[in-house]
Amino acid sequence: METLGEYILLILTALPFVGALALILFPTNRPKAVAPLVLVITSITLVLSVYVFVAYDRVAGGYQFIERYEWLPQIGASLHLGIDGIAAAMMLLNGVVAFTGTLVSWKLVTRPKDFFILFLLLVSGVYGTFASLDLLFFFFFYELAVLPMYLLIGVWGSTTDFKTFFRPKEYGALKLTLMLVAGSVLVWIALLAMWQQGSDSIGRLTFNFFDLREVAFPPTFQKIFFPFLFVGFGVLAGLWPFHTWSPDGHVAAPTSVSMLHAGVLMKLGAFGILRVGMELLPEGARSWGPVMIGLGSVNVIYGAVSALAQKDLKYVVGYSSVSHMGYVIMGLGTLDQIGINGAVMQMFSHGIMTALFFCMVGVIYERAHLRDITVLEGLSKRMGFAAAFLTIAGLASLGLPGLSGFAAELVVFIGIFRTYPILGVLAVIGAALTAVYILRLLGKVFFGPVSERWAHLTDASKLDIAAASILVGMLVLWGLYPLYIYRIIDSGVLPIAKRLVGG
Amino acid sequence: MLGMEQAWLQPAICAVAFVVIALPGRVLPRSGAWLGPLAILSAFVIFWFVLSDLLKNGPATFSFTWLEAGDVRIMWGMILDNLSVSMLGLVSFVALGVQVYSWAYMSGEPRFGWYFAVHSLFAASMMVLVLADNLLFMYIAWELVGLCSYLLIGFYYERRSAAEAAKKAFVTTRIGDVGMLIGILLLYKTVGTFDISGIIHAAQHVGEPGNPLSSVMLTVSMLLIFAGAVGKSAQFPLHVWLPDAMEGPTPVSALIHAATMVVAGVYLVARMFPAFEMAPTAMTVVAVIGLITALLMSFLAVVMTDIKRVLAYSTVSHLGFMMLALGSFGVGAAIFHLFTHAFAKAMLFLSAGSVSHGVHGKLDMREMGGLRSKMPVTFACMAIGALSLAGLFPLSGFFSKDAVLGTVLAGRGPVFFILTLVAAFFSAFYMARLVLVVFTGQPRSHEAEHAHESPVLMLIPLVALALLTIGATVLAFPIAGHANFGQFIYPAGEAEHFQLWLAGLSTVTAGAGLLMGWLIYGTHAISPSFFRDRFPAVQRVLEHKYYIDDFYQWVIDHIVLGVGGFVALFDRIVINDVGINGPGRSVVQTGNKLRLHVTGQLPNYAMVMVLGAIVIGVIWWLFAVRA
Repeated sequence: METLGEYILLILTALPFVGALALILFPTNRPKAVAPLVLVITSITLVLSVYVFVAYDRVAGGYQFIERYEWLPQIGASLHLGIDGIAAAMMLLNGVVAFTGTLVSWKLVTRPKDFFILFLLLVSGVYGTFASLDLLFFFFFYELAVLPMYLLIGVWGSTTDFKTFFRPKEYGALKLTLMLVAGSVLVWIALLAMWQQGSDSIGRLTFNFFDLREVAFPPTFQKIFFPFLFVGFGVLAGLWPFHTWSPDGHVAAPTSVSMLHAGVLMKLGAFGILRVGMELLPEGARSWGPVMIGLGSVNVIYGAVSALAQKDLKYVVGYSSVSHMGYVIMGLGTLDQIGINGAVMQMFSHGIMTALFFCMVGVIYERAHLRDITVLEGLSKRMGFAAAFLTIAGLASLGLPGLSGFAAELVVFIGIFRTYPILGVLAVIGAALTAVYILRLLGKVFFGPVSERWAHLTDASKLDIAAASILVGMLVLWGLYPLYIYRIIDSGVLPIAKRLVGG
Repeated sequence: MLGMEQAWLQPAICAVAFVVIALPGRVLPRSGAWLGPLAILSAFVIFWFVLSDLLKNGPATFSFTWLEAGDVRIMWGMILDNLSVSMLGLVSFVALGVQVYSWAYMSGEPRFGWYFAVHSLFAASMMVLVLADNLLFMYIAWELVGLCSYLLIGFYYERRSAAEAAKKAFVTTRIGDVGMLIGILLLYKTVGTFDISGIIHAAQHVGEPGNPLSSVMLTVSMLLIFAGAVGKSAQFPLHVWLPDAMEGPTPVSALIHAATMVVAGVYLVARMFPAFEMAPTAMTVVAVIGLITALLMSFLAVVMTDIKRVLAYSTVSHLGFMMLALGSFGVGAAIFHLFTHAFAKAMLFLSAGSVSHGVHGKLDMREMGGLRSKMPVTFACMAIGALSLAGLFPLSGFFSKDAVLGTVLAGRGPVFFILTLVAAFFSAFYMARLVLVVFTGQPRSHEAEHAHESPVLMLIPLVALALLTIGATVLAFPIAGHANFGQFIYPAGEAEHFQLWLAGLSTVTAGAGLLMGWLIYGTHAISPSFFRDRFPAVQRVLEHKYYIDDFYQWVIDHIVLGVGGFVALFDRIVINDVGINGPGRSVVQTGNKLRLHVTGQLPNYAMVMVLGAIVIGVIWWLFAVRA
């Protein structure tokens, strides 16, 4: 394992990428062989992700599994990979969601080859972003993760067609892409400014994360450019009022893309705020902290209240994501070690939970061909597994102890109460609102008499059940025993928290 | 040797039973449901070892780390003292009885295994709740028992009403839980610990220099924590969920909604009592809420016609008695009443289940009648339970009610005392009504005519609980070196002294209530419609449950969902269509306009270039040259 450890991050990032290239050369007339091939790839990345997570030495802390390859020394760019405790947890998240996403896309009929090429590119981009220690490559991977989304939704997505409400999938795809690109522009401006300023003060050109971390950016500079990063990444994290791509995008997206997108991609945004924004510009974060936590609390309440009124299953889950990402933003906004710990755990937990949500909503949609809560009724009689899994996701979402959502939200709450008690009250109330819309959804869709119309529905397939079981396992494992993952996360949060205090 | 240190085995065994039945259970014979009673039986056996260890060695605590993030460390620990071990015995005993009963009652139901799985999870969570030595750990168990309650109320989920009731129960208690969690977090922020003993210690030295906990903060957090108790113990104004919870199978009502889970709020206040005691305002609120609940709900029990709903409102009313006793500084009296009520009410619910089993699922008392001869055992048990609840000497209910009355008089004065007596009077009255309407007179339906006694497996727990209802009388007498059970539970409190005039007054009250019931429903000397005809408005208000449920429904439909709809619309129209699509559209329009200028003719471009150069020159002159 010694040599494997040296290259493991490169393998994780490159394997899906190479897989995507290989798929391009793959014969088009063998569509059935595509999914197994992809499953092999995502299985390997899952195993390696678990390995990275377990092998990460939390006592030593800091960045580990570091590797560096010069790329363009003239501008100070190199492929520089390494992960800390936070990224280690995110690696595990990506591995799990990518693997389960492959399982539920197994039966995809429309152009599976093209779908999986984009899917693998996306996965590769996510791995790369989490592992990059070079801002240029960070940005490259970030874009690599975001852009395939346009085609994935535009081609394989679904159109919402209610009597009163019509949203073509192209609208969702276009809106999502444009908003995220707009965010990227802000990020790019800030990154270039940091590159320029940092290189000036060091005396050589560098995109390197370690170099830039040593640079004391002038306070004014930090205060000006932190909002660029916060808002730019914030768009992807579902930050209010730039969240509207999220419900529309999720609704239009196919199941596994929703899973990856809400499950992992939105976390890239929060990760960017934390890694680039807060770690490199702590002074900026300090002055903008109150704004962050304020907007985060708007996210929490606004998302939950909006979810109350939705009729489409996916819109409920979409707005629920807006609300839950609010806890992440609030946690980051506390600038407090506990709050950030909780935020990272919430990123992880929400990723798993939302993947499970979309996975099961997909199962229902596939069979009933609609997602209207007011029409679906009594499905649990026919779809026992789907009902059980969606209920578990819902319970995790409303913060039931014993599932990871509680372990995350509780720590966020503690962090907020230590810094902004009044907003803490709002955050707790948000969790109660969650209970209302989740139970309303479960009650309408699964309980009550089975109507004739739904009597023919079949339960989730074996692959769906396998995928969901893995996700549930994660929720229960970290819900009952959060100590392990928190120790890893904390080793990554501690240095950031120290910088934020100004030490 | 098994002892207090192994008390965690009790919830652990039940939790394992849950996991086994819920996951691989379907391959086992009878879905593995028998693991449930087996697990709770082992837990009950362990309880005796724990108890003997406690009596020998005194209270103890044990703990280990659950979560650690930064300087926050959360421990899981258990506290074993007279209070928690007594509750442990109550929970495991009633759970055992109810599971045995359910074996017969639920046979032939679909999801038989699932039923026992959730029962096991409930038993495990409830025991954790009782054992928890810190508020957070207790909150976790608190939510889990709420989940089990949700799942069991909604057990017959094909019925829309059951699904709605389950949701109502979860959401209503959640409202209280929000307060509770905020209170817990506030205490953590100020005191720096979740430990109950640590919080009590800080509260006892409230206001002293160097103590971060101020008097105001203590009162606020105690009130917030009490909000959780109000939700869980169905106190006014969050009582609305409990009567609806009767949609669940009857044994569930006996276990969760009468004997164990709903008393969690009472237990919480009792557990935190030394802290509550230091916040007089909070104590007054506890007493007032308890009194309002006891009084208002006892009236409702009089007009209900569904046998389970009569019992449900009676439960709410008696939970009010317990809160009132706590608010009157009587922990011992409250817990004593908790025990006698638990035995009697669990039995009454099981009897009600036996009755409805006998009359093929009917629950409306108007369709029963004359069941005494057909169901003699059930009748005898129910009569004992009713008389105990009415507070008739020498049943255990008499002594506990006496303790509550004495406490209220001593702690809160004559006004509270008289109102409590009124509630006690109605308690006797509606119990008399229930028994007489169901068991005497003529059968009023075909099913009632052909009623039959229930199987032995159902009667055993009934009889056991009936014997306990009588036997619990010993709790009023010296026990394990203490003056009585109340003092055993809370040695710091003063033992109530038996007062003859008080006992006489309480007996007269109970007797009057029973007599009035007898006159109306036994001999028909007074027509049942006597009061209804004279006070139709009162009748209407009572039948509509004071319009409280209607009011809440209105608030949800018009205000909560209204705001939700407004925000959702705002999100679409203002944020999305104007804020996001707007700039998008204007970019497209600008593009369309600009397109007209892309003419492809060189002179046009040249002119623009010249104009541009002039503009840049002017700007340069303005900023650079003049500066």
